[in-house]
Amino acid sequence: MKNKKGFFLARWFKRAFMGNDHEVRDIMAEEQVQTPFRTMVRNFLGKRTVRVGIFGFVIIFLFVLIGPRYWVLDLSEQDSTLVNLPPSQDMMNVPSELRGKIVDIAAGRTYGVGLDTDGHLHTWGYTRITDKINIADIPEEVQKADLTMFAAGDDHVVALDADGQLYVWGNTRLQQGNFSSEMKKAMKAKDETWDIIQLEASNQFSAAVSSDGTLYLWGNSNVADIKLRKQYQGNIAKVALTSNEYICLLKDGTVAYTGYKDKGSAFAAIPASLQDEKVKDIASTSTTVAAVTEDGRVIVWGNAKNNERDVPAFSSPVSKLYGGRFHYTALLEDGTVVSWGANKYHQCDVPASVAHGADIRAIYTGNFQNYAVMSDGSVQTWGLKGFVLGTDGLGRDLLTRIVNGGRVTMTVGAISVIIATIIGVVLGGISGYFGGKADLLIMRIAEIVGGLPFIPFAMILSAVIGSRLDPTQKMYLIMVVLGVLSWTGTCRLVRAQILAQREMEYVTAAKAMGIKERTIVFRHILPNVISILLVSMTLDFATCMLTESSLSYLGFGIPLPTPTWGNLLTGANNSIVIQQYWWQWVFPATIFGICTICINMIGDGLRDAVDPKSAER
Amino acid sequence: MGKYILKRCGYIVVVFLILSFLMYSLYNLIPTDPARQELEPMRKSLKGDEYQVMYQQLRKQMGLDDPLVVRYLRWMGLWKDTDGSFNGVLEGNFGYSNLYKRDVVEVIKTPMGNTIFINIFSTLASLGITIPLGIYCAVHKGKRFDSATQVVTMLGYSIPIYIIALIFMYLFCVLWRVFPIMGTKTPGMEYTSGWQEFVDMLYHIALPVIVMTFGSLGGMTRYVRSSMIDALSMDYIRTARAKGLREKVVIYSHAWRNALLPVITSILGWFLGIFGGSVIIENTFSLNGMGKLYWQGLNNLDFELVLAIQMFYSIVSLIGSLLIDISYGLVDPRVRVDK
Repeated sequence: MKNKKGFFLARWFKRAFMGNDHEVRDIMAEEQVQTPFRTMVRNFLGKRTVRVGIFGFVIIFLFVLIGPRYWVLDLSEQDSTLVNLPPSQDMMNVPSELRGKIVDIAAGRTYGVGLDTDGHLHTWGYTRITDKINIADIPEEVQKADLTMFAAGDDHVVALDADGQLYVWGNTRLQQGNFSSEMKKAMKAKDETWDIIQLEASNQFSAAVSSDGTLYLWGNSNVADIKLRKQYQGNIAKVALTSNEYICLLKDGTVAYTGYKDKGSAFAAIPASLQDEKVKDIASTSTTVAAVTEDGRVIVWGNAKNNERDVPAFSSPVSKLYGGRFHYTALLEDGTVVSWGANKYHQCDVPASVAHGADIRAIYTGNFQNYAVMSDGSVQTWGLKGFVLGTDGLGRDLLTRIVNGGRVTMTVGAISVIIATIIGVVLGGISGYFGGKADLLIMRIAEIVGGLPFIPFAMILSAVIGSRLDPTQKMYLIMVVLGVLSWTGTCRLVRAQILAQREMEYVTAAKAMGIKERTIVFRHILPNVISILLVSMTLDFATCMLTESSLSYLGFGIPLPTPTWGNLLTGANNSIVIQQYWWQWVFPATIFGICTICINMIGDGLRDAVDPKSAER
Repeated sequence: MGKYILKRCGYIVVVFLILSFLMYSLYNLIPTDPARQELEPMRKSLKGDEYQVMYQQLRKQMGLDDPLVVRYLRWMGLWKDTDGSFNGVLEGNFGYSNLYKRDVVEVIKTPMGNTIFINIFSTLASLGITIPLGIYCAVHKGKRFDSATQVVTMLGYSIPIYIIALIFMYLFCVLWRVFPIMGTKTPGMEYTSGWQEFVDMLYHIALPVIVMTFGSLGGMTRYVRSSMIDALSMDYIRTARAKGLREKVVIYSHAWRNALLPVITSILGWFLGIFGGSVIIENTFSLNGMGKLYWQGLNNLDFELVLAIQMFYSIVSLIGSLLIDISYGLVDPRVRVDK
């Protein structure tokens, strides 16, 4: 008997997930020999709601347990170019009408623009900039124009037609379309000062280089250094834009920082190794720039935080270099393609069909996207396809945050339930078995603690004690606060149970046999209470998760940027988020709701199984 | 009965004193120095020594160096202040709000009215729904309506209230545009009469009240249902039916009276749940209530305000428990005899 009792959890799980023992029994016989415990388990698993609950909970639990290995949380993660993206996987889906007829592609922040051989312009990916501005709304004049060149920036697209007319669409509220007077003059003159050979667009500013070496820069001068030192004008061969600065390749094959920030700029310090080399190509990411020397070496400088400087060993000299946001893609002379830099969105995982000497016509690289147009007209892509559940207001992947937030919420819930149960069992046991003054005192305390409005009290504890703690300590604090405030239910339950069990005959028998009181309480009475305790723990688990999330939602629980299912929803209570960024609250709310419903289903089923009387209700 | 009530009142006073002392000492854990704050504007015009002297004087005047118990009693208004007068909570002085630069009593006047109004409204609404619903489900146990209610109430207590609020906001404010999304009054509106103002406020708090009611339906309906089922399975019900009493009489007179006992005990916790939950609701809907004020006070470290509101919550919970005890005594004669 003792042996069986000791392993009851193990046996339970065995029966729950691996089926019955393999002995064949007569049905009637089984009915007769069934222990109360077996009846309990059978009642429990016999209900459909319980099976659904267990199924749902196990799936969410495994998802949250194993998920963080695949969706690794980076607390410092944020990216202004990926803010508020809806769930999608089509950022690099080149439209079928364009396939095989590509003339030119420009890869923007989260979208792409492509020109086909019939002169039609196509857009794909997430083209919405605000609720009013959409890159996909190509102005009519642009549709009609005979475009020769275009470039895609963060939130605007620049295009040039055969007549030398420049068009800008997308977000033009920050002067993205404000041409300077010199540009207007040159545009009118249409001589070789306006024979544009390169068009570039970046974060709210754009650049054009004409064949006589003139560089035109325009856009939002508040975010970007869009001025050019006079002595370089007329001598520019190519320009490369970072997110708010630029560098130039001069006609004599040297690289120069031609802006006005000079000492403040990381790009002004052009590496010494470039001094007596001739440069044939330049490229840029958002914070670094790179130059390709005549003999095909790549030199990277600037603020390289994402391994941009770890230039791999090339099998042959580099012929062309392209820059994304945090990565470079190089086309080598033998036709191989190599990408390096940040690989968070797999923007460096060049597909095998492209990597090794395929016949590539052109490569286009944008934010996190790479397009390789093959000579047969097909397109190969690698990089960021999109986010399954979208991103939040700081450009963080929502799926990662939901998975990791679930882990935090469940951990906090579980540990606070354990704390509450330990306090509740000890105090309830003392008060139930010994009675008298201890009972009176403990029950009064329980009454006071249980009578406090929970959320305001937890808030003040978290605010007062938590003000001097770091985020990790604060997480432990929340567990303790929740545990310390929610033990009263368990305490009352255990007390009532022990009061009832104390009068049972087996306790009298045990006493008569001279067994010590402590042994009676913990070895004889407690096992009989455990099933009921399990029910209350299950239900409390859901409650603690709810309370933790409510506290975090109010900003007094686990502090940001650590995600929990509660603080993912902080700030969701305004009409913009509710309506336009629906994915930011619908997904966390759904998974959390399903999780707590499943736990409550299991808890209800357990209660019905443990207390058959309640099943009749 | 009178003796019983007196006993309960005495108990509540003791508990209130303990609670307020705990709260006060908790509040004193925060490292603040009112004397320094007071002197800060004058600091530059004073010399170092002068400043020190004035600082010490002020500390003494404010009684900052006295033991915690003395400061607590002063705050409560049970001990003489340094100027010899009683000036504390019991005299109606709850302190000064640093955030609003006004006396706390003035600051919390309107929000308190709003909160009490909203909470009582939604409490009555939920009781009005849950009790008939619970009884109906118990009587028609196992029928389709009962099962459906079980599922819906399960949703009600499994989903956190702010998610319910978000869903309702989406449906009523964004999709159908029936209710305003935030606040307690139409911006820029000038009222010609008090009645108009009242109607406008009702219109604004309608959605929060609906959400609170919906969120608190779950637990109570289940409780009413299960205690009603217990009562209906008793022998005296069979007797009553055997006597040939009408079913209505059996249910409402015989069963419901007895089912009420366990329901009353759980009402307190449930009522407090609604009150605590109103912190979330008020923040979600930006209502000018105690919960919102509490949140602001905590965020801005305005602890005299917070302490006052915390006292309010404690008093609500204590009065709630007193009312429950009294009504329990009224309903159940045994309680009066026993104690």
